[in-house]
Amino acid sequence: MQPTRVQQRAKFLRSLQLVPAVSLFASLSALGCSGGGVGGNTGGTPTGTGVGGAASGATGAGATGAGGGTGSGGGATGGVPTECTTTTNPGRAPVRRLTRFEYNNTVETLLGDTTQPGNSLPSEVLGNGYGNDADKQPVSSFLAEQYGIVAEDVAGRSAATLLATAAPCYSTATVDTEEACARSFIETFGARAYRRPLQPAEVDELLALERVLRAENTFEVSLTSVVETMLQAPDFLYRLEFGTPDAANPSLLRPTGYEMATRLAYMLWGSMPDETLVTAAASGELSTAEGVRSHATRMVENVDRMRPVVRYFFDHFLPLNTLTDLARDAVQFPTFSATIGGLMREETQLFLEYVIFQGPGDWPSALTAPYTVVNDQLANFYGIAGVTPGGQWEVAPVDTTKRLGLLTQGAIQAGTTISNFTNPVRRGVFLLRNIMCVDLPDPPEAIAGSITPPDPASRATGRERYSQHSEDVTCRNCHGVMDPPGFALENYDAVGLWRDQENGVTIDASGELPYLPAPFSGPIELVTQLAASELTQNCFAENWLNYAYGKTLGREDTCTQATVETAFAQSGYNVKALLLALTQTDAFLYLPPQEQL
Amino acid sequence: MARFRLNRRDVLRGAGSIAIGLPWLEAMEPVGTAHAAAPTVAQRFLAVYQPGGNVMDQWHPTGSETGFTLSPILAPLEAVRSKLLVLSGLDMKSAVGEQHQAGICALLTGMPQGTAGEFVTGPSVDQVIATIASQGKPRSSIEIAIRWATGKSHGLLHPINSMTFANDANASPVPPRLDPADIFNSLFGGLQPGDDGEATANVQRKLSILDFLDRRYASVAQRLGASDRLKLEEHLTRIREMEESLRTLGTPGGACAPPEFVETPDYDPTSGRNSADDGSIQDTSSDAAIPVVGKLMMDMLVSAMACDLTGVASLQWSDTEAKHTFPWLNLSEHHHYYQHDGNFRPVECQQIATWYSEQHAYLLQQMDAIDMGGHSLLDESVVFFGSEISHPPEHTKTDMPFLLAGGGGGLRGGRWLQYESQSHNDLLIAILNLFGDTRTTFGDPSYVNGPLSGLT
Repeated sequence: MQPTRVQQRAKFLRSLQLVPAVSLFASLSALGCSGGGVGGNTGGTPTGTGVGGAASGATGAGATGAGGGTGSGGGATGGVPTECTTTTNPGRAPVRRLTRFEYNNTVETLLGDTTQPGNSLPSEVLGNGYGNDADKQPVSSFLAEQYGIVAEDVAGRSAATLLATAAPCYSTATVDTEEACARSFIETFGARAYRRPLQPAEVDELLALERVLRAENTFEVSLTSVVETMLQAPDFLYRLEFGTPDAANPSLLRPTGYEMATRLAYMLWGSMPDETLVTAAASGELSTAEGVRSHATRMVENVDRMRPVVRYFFDHFLPLNTLTDLARDAVQFPTFSATIGGLMREETQLFLEYVIFQGPGDWPSALTAPYTVVNDQLANFYGIAGVTPGGQWEVAPVDTTKRLGLLTQGAIQAGTTISNFTNPVRRGVFLLRNIMCVDLPDPPEAIAGSITPPDPASRATGRERYSQHSEDVTCRNCHGVMDPPGFALENYDAVGLWRDQENGVTIDASGELPYLPAPFSGPIELVTQLAASELTQNCFAENWLNYAYGKTLGREDTCTQATVETAFAQSGYNVKALLLALTQTDAFLYLPPQEQL
Repeated sequence: MARFRLNRRDVLRGAGSIAIGLPWLEAMEPVGTAHAAAPTVAQRFLAVYQPGGNVMDQWHPTGSETGFTLSPILAPLEAVRSKLLVLSGLDMKSAVGEQHQAGICALLTGMPQGTAGEFVTGPSVDQVIATIASQGKPRSSIEIAIRWATGKSHGLLHPINSMTFANDANASPVPPRLDPADIFNSLFGGLQPGDDGEATANVQRKLSILDFLDRRYASVAQRLGASDRLKLEEHLTRIREMEESLRTLGTPGGACAPPEFVETPDYDPTSGRNSADDGSIQDTSSDAAIPVVGKLMMDMLVSAMACDLTGVASLQWSDTEAKHTFPWLNLSEHHHYYQHDGNFRPVECQQIATWYSEQHAYLLQQMDAIDMGGHSLLDESVVFFGSEISHPPEHTKTDMPFLLAGGGGGLRGGRWLQYESQSHNDLLIAILNLFGDTRTTFGDPSYVNGPLSGLT
């Protein structure tokens, strides 16, 4: 039976223990199920709710509607457990290295280098799905070597401009004044590169390096080499946090003002702190939750600075990276081209930006918006009339019998589709895993080996092609849960266009999902229920938590997670409020005590 | 920084670049048949990975151990037959975990992946061999990949594409190098004639910087908590390796010659970052460049070995996703499609596997053409060739399509060895033994019986 909201909350809090789903397969034979979309791990969504608990509902009678699964008002049903409010629970805060995304943004802010030199660094580990998992940042020889190569290039490129602005004394320096000039350069540039003022001893050490280099090189070279050095220093590449005792409770550690400025800057803007944050750090404004909130508010309201992080997040949260060069059969899909795929990605990104920063602002609205953002080319593709010619993007209403919100957009439908044929399993898994954070097990090895997708020509509709899943008890346990939401999206073809029929047969897009309160007749009812589900909201928050804190949430983050989810719910699931809430947790405002060897 | 540069602009860019002062020798000459003086212990290890298994009924030779006929797929290797060992009947028993992931993770480690999404917890054999074979050489190992991280890893390091793992407590996956031009500059940038003194000055400058970084990482690490300290210390180790690299200025002369560099503007080495989970995004420009890039990568690996830049290297032809096409074979779907995404297509898979055999034959012939002083580079090496699965549609990990080549450590080629379901961990041990490492176990001991017999 469907778990109640409270039960779900309880399960949620038990967090990592929720993987009984594997047992579903315990008795399975080696029979293969056709055409999974579940093979392989794409990283990303850690635990939320296991399909195991739900599967019994799916196979049992009267799975839906019954029980306590109704009512949508209970967003924060569970609220924040008492133990979370009476103690401070910072959780783990492993040291984070700049990702390539952050490295690029940082050298742009620091040195005006817009060449994205960080792209020459080796791959991050996918880890938490956002490539920024601090527990998965190994240092290979290749990485260390590339840091050196990239630093030399960046320093060389920016030297002239940098020295003219940060070391004006450089051009007129004499043998007698060089050292003082170098010292002042190290102090001013160093404070920006290290995101904090340098200690006198640190200045001395860098100056000593500069003097050694100067003995064999020109002054320009020795100063530029210092820049090259700083760009490889741990103080630049890593977000080092040592903290300072909390004034109110000295047994607790808080990030210093500068460390907090850095936390805010990278979390919200994906780059180093701006002048305002640096000033705030120096004046102690960032030593209270209110001070942090006030600056976070200022930052969240700056759409232009928020855009890179928001785009990066959604590029990883949704299947958007895949769209820019999507290939489809030109005969079957004559109006589709790779350009359209790229426009779909832009549609979704602009739509989300509009909803979050100009429109209603809440996640359920993003999932149920009766409009999208298109230009004329994309509008023609979709068949949306009345869009101004000329390529500019505008908000346009959609036919709400066929489309409603994010999940019905072409980007999502095409982005979750294998080649020229829709795969309901893949789409269903996407909704469950990525949008609702339901923990789905991969098919076990015994079965996985023999999985082959059904012949696209075998049956008329997707539901029929994948009927083995409902006929074969081996498959039904899990696919009975995974497939129905995918079937509900069968009205969208492989390029995301609406279709009523497939091969002359009317598509049956009805179904039910044990996590949702009622059966749905098609995609519109499905997304409407998804948008009202607390699982969906919590999943969105969980993804932001993972991204923002650069780790995979663990058991010790239960309180932080509950705090953020509660604040998110209380705001009516406002996305900007969620981002602010991320800055108000124990995890963000405090540091754990230093781990001992 | 241009003023540091040698006449050739791209020379000596990397901190880890090496400088070899002596002039180039003549271009590579075929060695002929003089192999007498090969050292008794293997000197170099090269692991080559081909994705997606094979068409096994077209792979096994027929005949006897020495009187065998190569199968159609292996036929291109006839030219190096006398230095080739075809290994049948080895099972990758330790490859427990996800379909392709467990295979590539176990291939060189003999460790189970275990949990989905995880890597392995032990080093790969190449990284262990590096502690022996790369001693005193500028680089511990060189990892190269072509059209890598296609599909659902989106250009990121992932259990689905990681083959080599560091020989330390973390056993972190080692990211491969992808950009042919960067690799060339990094490996051979310092190998230029007519050093005018600037190169030496730049080496000195880099050493000063590395010396500073060495002390900085050490002092910062001391102030951090336990796991953070380990992370910074790992970085410190890499910095020390670079210092060591710069101080060891390579061994000049002998068979050392730089490969001919070929511009490959059509090839996007980081194309994987834009890849789709299902391979629906095609980068046909990069795909079409694979043969040219592949040859260059192989040439660079051979030269790096001949120049003694390292004793250990690996080459990944794509990754287990292999979601790229083969325009030069007129195959317009990706490899994974032919393996099973579009049902198993043995004809196309055989075409692809045969092409990989041709590439491998080229690599081995190049190695055999280099005279290391009375014997060839191949004669003192051990070259492993393998895939993460055997039969593609079922992700089978028994009866693996493995090859060895070379004469290092007394390896005897010209043979087809048939085993009966022996664990490939035993092969990894036997390979280690060829390098003088006498251990009797490697990887997860529950999959170990002891060194595989019959190789020497």
